[in-house]
Order: sequence, then structure tokens, then C-alpha cells
Amino acid sequence: MLELQDITKKFMKGTPDETTLFDHFCFSVQKGDFVSVVGSNGSGKTTMLNLICGTYQPDEGKVLFEGKDISRLPEFKRAAFIGRVFQDPKAGTCSDLTILENMALADNKNKPFGLGRGVNKKRMDYYRSLLENCNMGMENRLQTKVGALSGGQRQALALVIANMTELKLLILDEHTAALDPKSSERIMQLTDRLIRESGITALMVTHNLRFAIEYGNRLVMMHQGQVVLDKAGEDKKNASVDDLLTVFNSISIESGN
Amino acid sequence: MAILSTLEVCLEDGFVYAILAMGFYITFSILDFPDLSVEGTVLTGGVTCAVLAEMGVNPYVAMILAFVIGCLAGSVTGLLHVKLGIRPLLSGILVSTGLITVNLVAAVVGNGGSFSGDGALSNVTIARSSPTIFRVFPFTLLPETVAQVNLRKLVSFFVIALIVKLLLDAYLKTKSGLLLFATGDNAQFTTMLAKDPGSSKILGLALGNGLAALSGALIAQSRGNANQGMGLGMIVIGIASVIIGLSVFGKLRFMKPTTMVILGSVIYQACLGVASILGVPSAYNKLIMALLFTAALVLSGRLGRKKQEA
Repeated sequence: MLELQDITKKFMKGTPDETTLFDHFCFSVQKGDFVSVVGSNGSGKTTMLNLICGTYQPDEGKVLFEGKDISRLPEFKRAAFIGRVFQDPKAGTCSDLTILENMALADNKNKPFGLGRGVNKKRMDYYRSLLENCNMGMENRLQTKVGALSGGQRQALALVIANMTELKLLILDEHTAALDPKSSERIMQLTDRLIRESGITALMVTHNLRFAIEYGNRLVMMHQGQVVLDKAGEDKKNASVDDLLTVFNSISIESGN
Repeated sequence: MAILSTLEVCLEDGFVYAILAMGFYITFSILDFPDLSVEGTVLTGGVTCAVLAEMGVNPYVAMILAFVIGCLAGSVTGLLHVKLGIRPLLSGILVSTGLITVNLVAAVVGNGGSFSGDGALSNVTIARSSPTIFRVFPFTLLPETVAQVNLRKLVSFFVIALIVKLLLDAYLKTKSGLLLFATGDNAQFTTMLAKDPGSSKILGLALGNGLAALSGALIAQSRGNANQGMGLGMIVIGIASVIIGLSVFGKLRFMKPTTMVILGSVIYQACLGVASILGVPSAYNKLIMALLFTAALVLSGRLGRKKQEA
């Protein structure tokens, strides 16, 4: 369903500091997959997500989505079918708006934002039911400004909001990294449930090796712009955190970390 | 009597500049865009209205056209920023600089001159017989002056500011208005809604400058002319009014931000009025404005910090 074909991506292009992160990089994701991606800092995980979402454009190569070339499609147009939850809980919601307003905006995604009433009160029960699923007590605080919520609540809201309209691909960009251990566990469980319920294809970058092992049906490790480990099915089920750490350490020694 | 007439001037100016300030509420407060193009668009609105008045056009039509032309100028600022990646401050400076020529040419041509552009007759005077809102229905139903107060002017400015406020309130509740808030707060969120945050910014800047031009159109009608110095200091007046209004009344939950901005504008003009009652020469006005602006910035900064501490 998603295919990165022969991608080359350079940074600081045309300067003495030019670095090539991806050199003819290929990667593909099948429909219905839930892929966890791990790797050290600078290995290209987030850049890969940015290339998929359209934040960056590749210098060479193509991004194919359901067979169509979307390499030149701007980020906001790709957002019509790709949802994204960021590491920063502030990135997925608007702090100055209330929970209700945030959800009303998300509810209108892929429709025109014209002069109709911004908030439809009839939809409030629906919003409440979505929030109840998070078990974070947000369902009774629809009129609260999102800025007053905790990081965990905001991230749960961001997740719900991203999933409010039908998506084809969900991108999770270290979305539990900024949270405390308990919140990150809850957000991960919520994520897993949402993905299972909708059967959506998902790509999750994480630094939490245990999450990468426990969740999803495919595990990918990246290093210096390449996939160094790719386990799916039974292979993935049998993988352990220790196995991953062994690979991780051997790579780190190689690159002198 | 001096106090009464000063009060009248404060309210009149307060209402007129409130329209400008509501424009800044959109650009500065909602979109977080310090828009300097307003210095040009206020005058553009004034010139447009004055030229049309001299042609005998109905003042309400003239004001709507002034608004539309202001919107166009604002979209240019937005396009420079969004499409060409020019920084907000520079985009505003570019547009206000370009508008100096536009305003001069429009004024000269409006006076029946040619495009020679030597700057002669750069002021457009609205003749006593030309139509302004003070000389056509419905405000002609009011007596012009009551007890030496120019009631007609005062009421008409108040009513127009109020209409603008109500329309803006209604707009900000729509989907498009809500998207404007989202874009100013978190452009990434707008992107995630599959909408181009750039378009939203351009729309906001268009509205902000449209309101600035509308306010200029009223000033021109009130003064009876549009002269090239009209735009000076407008940015300070507008932004200071917004900041004063939002920081003084910000904690009142029942009050709409647009109401706060109108009150902020009146307070700002009242401060200038007090200075004139105290006998400070008007030459000092701009300095007082700058000081008031500084005070407003410090005040709002302090309130902001308190909020974070809480």
C-alpha cells in the first residue's frame, strides 16, 4: 500500500556540511500492517515519516501510496488520508481552543470550512463517547481549554482526533516518548485498541523497545538510513528486548557510540 | 466644557480605531502575525472613500469598496509571506511601502490630475456637499449636535463599530473562523485537518486589512479629507488597543474578546485625552503613544507570566 522507492535525501544540500541520510532507500508497508520502527537518533526514522507525510520532499525517488505517486503532493493534501500523532502532545491539538472546538474542527476534516456553525452541539454526545473510551475523565470537560490538560490527556485527545475521520494510514511519531511511564503505557494501549478496532495500517516510531516487541505485527530497525533488521509474523512474535538490544549495541559499537 | 469635548473626541476616536484594532485582533492576536501593512491600508481606505465621495458615490458603497480594497492589500501581504516565504514584518513593510505610491497616484487621479506622479494635490478633500455617512440616511435622522456634542458623528461611529463587532463575532464562530484560531494556535493542526494553513493566514490578513481600510474610510469622512500622513502611528494605536483591552478585561469570561478590544481602544484614546486636558501639547502625542504601548506590553507580559506561575 505504501512504498518508498529508491529514495535519496540529503541535508544541508550544497554546503560543505552536506550529509546524505538516505541513499537509494527502499521500504514498503502492506495494507493492515502495524509496523514498529526502532533505531538510534539520526538513523532516519523521523525523516522517513516526514517523507511519507510530505513534510520533506525526497531529492530523488518516489513515494507511492496505493500505487499512486504522491511525492509532490503537499503535506496538507496527504493529511486527507494520512493521520499523524507527534511526540509533542502540543502538536496534535490547539491549546487555546476547548476540547469541544478541537473535536468539532477534526469532525469537519475533509469537508469545506465555510460559514456554517463551527460547533455542532448535536455531535456532543458522540464526542463524549469517543472520550469515554480513553478513560481519562475528559468526557465531562468538553468546555475546558486543551491547554489545561495534562500531557497524557492531550496525547489521548490527539490520538482520538487523528482517528475521527477515516484514514488509510496512521503515523505515530514517538508519540509516547514525552509522557511518564504510566501515561505512555495507557496511550500505547489506547493506540493498540484504536488500531485493532479500525484495522488501519499503522507505522509507529518508538524508542521503547518493549512497545516495539509487544505491539504490532512487524518490527523494523533502522541505522544510518538503512533497514538493518526486519521481522514479521512468527519471527516478530519470538523476538525479545534482549535480541534487539544485542543488535542495537553491535551497531552502536560499529559507529563508535 | 473642555472635558466634555475631550470625552467626545475620546469616544469618537475610540470607536473608529476600535475597527482598526479588531483587524489587529485577527492578525496580531489570533494569527500571531505582526502586520505592518496596516499603515498603508488605513490610508488606502481613506483615499478610496474620499475619492468615491467626490464622485458622488453612496458612502456605504464607498466604505464596502474601501474594505474590499483593504482585503486585497492584505492578501498581498499574506501571499508575500506564504508563497514567497518572506518574513511577516518584511511582508508588511513591503506592502505598506508599495501602497505609498498607490495612495499617491489614487489621490492625484482622484483629484482629476494625471499620472505624472509629482505628488501635487496628494490630499483628497471631501467637499461639504459630497455624500458621507453624516449626510445620508439613516444617520441624518439624528440631530447633528446636542448640547455642543456632535451626536450624529458619535452615534454613527458607535453603531458602525458595533455592527463590525457583531459580524466579526458571528464569523469567528463559523468553521472558517474556528480554523483561523487553529492556524494561529498550531499551524500543524490545520495541516492535519487537510487544510492549507497558508490560505487561512492569507484570509486572516485580508480581513484584518479590510477592517483597517474601513476604519481609514471613517476617519477620512470624519476629518473631511484623506492626507498622506494618515497612516502614521496606526500600528501602535491598533496593537496597543488590542493589548490593553485583552490584558485589562482578559479575565472576564463573559466578555467577548471583540468587546475587550473596543474598550481597549476607548481606554487608549482616553489616556491621550487626559494628556491633552493636562495641557500636554499634541506634538507629544506620538511619544505618549509609544510610552502607552510599552506600558501595555509590559502589563500583558506580566499577566502572562502570572498565568504560567499559577
